[in-house]
Amino acid sequence: MLPRRLPLLEIPVAILVLAQPAFAHEQVGVTGGLVSGLLHPLTGMDHLIAMVAVGIWGAQLGAPAIWVLPITFPLVMAFGGVLGVLRIPLPMPEVVIALSALVLGAAVAARLRVPFGAAAVIVGAFAIFHGHAHGAELPSAANPLAYGVGFVVATGLLHLCGITIGTLSRWPAGERLTRGLGAAIAALGCYFLAVSLGGVA
Amino acid sequence: MSMFGRAWVAVAALLVSAQAAHAHIVAARLGDFYAGALHPLTDLQDIILWIAMGVLAGSLGATTGRWLVLVFPLGLLAGLGLGPAFGIVSAGAVADAGTIAVLGLLLATNLRIGTVPLCLIAVGLALMRGAANAGDLGPETNRLLFAAGLAGAGYAAITLTMALTVAFRGTDAGSSIAWRGIAIRAFGSWIAAIGVMMGGFALAT
Repeated sequence: MLPRRLPLLEIPVAILVLAQPAFAHEQVGVTGGLVSGLLHPLTGMDHLIAMVAVGIWGAQLGAPAIWVLPITFPLVMAFGGVLGVLRIPLPMPEVVIALSALVLGAAVAARLRVPFGAAAVIVGAFAIFHGHAHGAELPSAANPLAYGVGFVVATGLLHLCGITIGTLSRWPAGERLTRGLGAAIAALGCYFLAVSLGGVA
Repeated sequence: MSMFGRAWVAVAALLVSAQAAHAHIVAARLGDFYAGALHPLTDLQDIILWIAMGVLAGSLGATTGRWLVLVFPLGLLAGLGLGPAFGIVSAGAVADAGTIAVLGLLLATNLRIGTVPLCLIAVGLALMRGAANAGDLGPETNRLLFAAGLAGAGYAAITLTMALTVAFRGTDAGSSIAWRGIAIRAFGSWIAAIGVMMGGFALAT
C-alpha cells in the first residue's frame, strides 16, 4: 500500500543515501588531465571539424596519404603542443586554425588532388597550430602527461572518424555526402575565420 | 511506528553507515606483494612505457619478442635492487619522455630490430622503471614481497600485451589484414607524440 503523505524521515535518509562526493574543482590530477585532454579537441568545434576533414581528405587521396597522414599528424601536432607548453608564440594561431577548417573542408568538397608531399606540408603546417593551441590551453591543475594522452587519443579517433566517413566515397551517394560535408566544414571555417578576424561579434 | 516503517529505517541506517570494504590486501601478511604489483599502475609513465614495450615486442613477432618474458621482469628486479644502492631512484621526466618517444618512433617507423637490440632496450627500460618504483619503498616495506609483486606485474603486463599484439597483427601476409599493421604503426605515432609532449612538459617545469 502506498503512503498517503511523504514521511518526514524517508526524505533526508534518501538524500543521505544518494549523496555523492562533491568535485568543486574540475580538471585535477590524472583523471582531470585525461578528461580535459580528451574533451579539448571534441569541444572545440574548429579543432573537431579540421581533424575530421584531415581524415576524409586522406581517404579521398588514397594510399599512401590514407595511412601516412594519421601516423605523422599526431607527431607533428605534438611538436606544436610543445611550442604551446613552452609559451613560444605562433603568428595568429586562431586565424590559422580557422583557415585550416576552411582549406581542408574546401579540399574535401572539391575532391582536390594534390601530390602527396604537398598534402603532407599543408596538413603538417596546420597540425603545428592545432597542437600549439592544445599545449597552450593545458589546465594548470591537470596532470600534463594525462592531458597529452587524452588529446592525442582524441585527435587520432577524430582522424579515424574522418577516414571512415571518407571511405563512403566509393559509392556515388557517399561521394555526394562526403563532399557536402566538406562544404559544410569549409562554411564553418569561414565563420570561424570571420570571428577570429573580428568580423563577427 | 509500524513494523514496515521500522524495517525501512533499519535498512536506511545500514545504507547510511556503510563503509568501503577492505576484505584483504592492505592489512594482510602479503600486503607488500600487492603493493609491489599495483604500484606501477599508480604511475602513468609506467603504464605507457610497459604497454609500448609490449606492443613493440609483439609487432616484431613472437620469435623475436619472447625473450622479454624473462628479461623484462629480471630487469625490473635488478633496477629495484640496484637503484637505491647507487642512489638512483628516477631517471627523470626527460629521460622517461625520451624513452616513450623512441619506443613510439620504433613502432611508427616499423623498424625491424633484432632480438639482441630489443632485449637491450627492454633491460634498459626495466632497470629505469625498477629504480623508479624503488623510490617509494618505505623502511617498513618487505622488499622481497614488493619485488615479487613488481616482477609478477611486469611479467604479466609484457606477456599479455605482447600476446595481444601478436594475435592482433596476425600471421597472414594478405592484404585483408594489412590495415592491422598500419593500426599498430598509428598507435606507435600516438605513443611517440605523447613522449614528445611529455618532454615539452618536463622542459617547461
